[in-house]
Amino acid sequence: MSAYKIPEPVAGRMLIVDDDAINRAILENIFARFYGIEEAENGRVGLDKLLQNPDEYCAVLLDVVMPVMDGMEVLECLQALSLPERIPVFLITAEANDDTMRAAYRMGVMDVISKPVVPYVVERRVNSVVELFRARRRLGNVVLRQQSELLQQAQTIINLNYGMIEALSTAIEFRSEESGDHVRRIHDITKHLLAYTSMGEGMDAQTIEHIALASIMHDVGKIAIPDSILNKPGKLTPEEFEIMKSHTLQGAMLLEKIPQLRENEAYAYAYDIARHHHERWDGRGYPDGLRGEEISVWARVVSLADVYDALISKRVYKNALPREEALAMIRRGDCGAFDPRMLECFFSVEKELYALYDR
Amino acid sequence: MDALRKQRLTAAGIDLNSALERFMGNEALLERFLKRFLQDENSARLNQALTAGDMETALAAAHTLKGVCGNLSMSALYDLFSRQVAAFRAGDAALAMGLMAEIQPALEKTRRAIEEM
Repeated sequence: MSAYKIPEPVAGRMLIVDDDAINRAILENIFARFYGIEEAENGRVGLDKLLQNPDEYCAVLLDVVMPVMDGMEVLECLQALSLPERIPVFLITAEANDDTMRAAYRMGVMDVISKPVVPYVVERRVNSVVELFRARRRLGNVVLRQQSELLQQAQTIINLNYGMIEALSTAIEFRSEESGDHVRRIHDITKHLLAYTSMGEGMDAQTIEHIALASIMHDVGKIAIPDSILNKPGKLTPEEFEIMKSHTLQGAMLLEKIPQLRENEAYAYAYDIARHHHERWDGRGYPDGLRGEEISVWARVVSLADVYDALISKRVYKNALPREEALAMIRRGDCGAFDPRMLECFFSVEKELYALYDR
Repeated sequence: MDALRKQRLTAAGIDLNSALERFMGNEALLERFLKRFLQDENSARLNQALTAGDMETALAAAHTLKGVCGNLSMSALYDLFSRQVAAFRAGDAALAMGLMAEIQPALEKTRRAIEEM
């Protein structure tokens, strides 16, 4: 029939500020069933009590005409602290004229109740508002909690995606009897070149993260290459080398076939990198023979990161080369031609890249 | 509170039903404040202030009495003090003082009824 809900008892305290003992007694007599009651005989005492423990109170009943500090002065102080937003304040006054009411509402009171009070009316008006404030706080808490849960779930999904991608890529590296560190280093070198040199010009941090994640998947196509070729210690025959080269197209095809991945923001980069990380600046790379700017910046960066890491790490078919020799080979174009601007960027930060290898 | 006492208080201008409703049926609490009314110093303060021409103090006392009488449902007195407070606020000291002629006997009557309670 009515939306009025009697509040549960002992849920917060009510502060009654009135210089008249009869008024305080009448209000206490009404509300003692619902709240713990605190009393103050003037505005100063009331304000002090309230400011000491603001969060213990669920309602303030405030008289207007009082000695020492009147109700309107109390209201001004409360408003300055935005307290009426958290604790409902009720003005209980014998002088409920227009100006007083307007000023009081402007300063955030929830209701103006005239004296002498009618208990039934004052009880309902006050309790309804207290319940409203409680409901609002409960709801606010629920929304906050749900928000943080959602954020946490989203982060979990991102971590899981990342974990799966890393696990897959590492598994493939292990198959070629390399350590899982290779994918981690490609990720770090790619990220470093984009974040700290002009190669990453115009890219925001998010984009660089996506490209770095995509770089991890550059060799997924190797899953389609037979062990006998992948792990052959010596030089590959021309036929074997053709098969080996196909890991670029195989990788792109594989990524294309994972629908969940296609929705990932890193997908476009991953596809392009897997397919084109063996293209070379002079058009003599594979599989598409792209040249110069036809090769995307990210595919260029990963191709150099891949070569650099291959040279200075031990592989099944070779030992780790000394750093100076590896750099000389890259500079001479022994591993194919690279974008000259990128080489400049690379040499400018190579010391930091080398520091990624703790040996 | 027996019927006779109630009758006396009602005769003295106290709307007992309304007063009891305000005290949520708590007779003991109402009686306590009715008795305290006998010791209230505001009527003396009001008289002294009027004699001394201290209108500010007189207004404060009249305002307090208005509140007390309202809470105790002393309808006639509440009405008189309301008019007096309004007169003070309007700066009409003569009217405010003139009202004492009606206030004084009404106060006496009410006090007697409470004393005999």
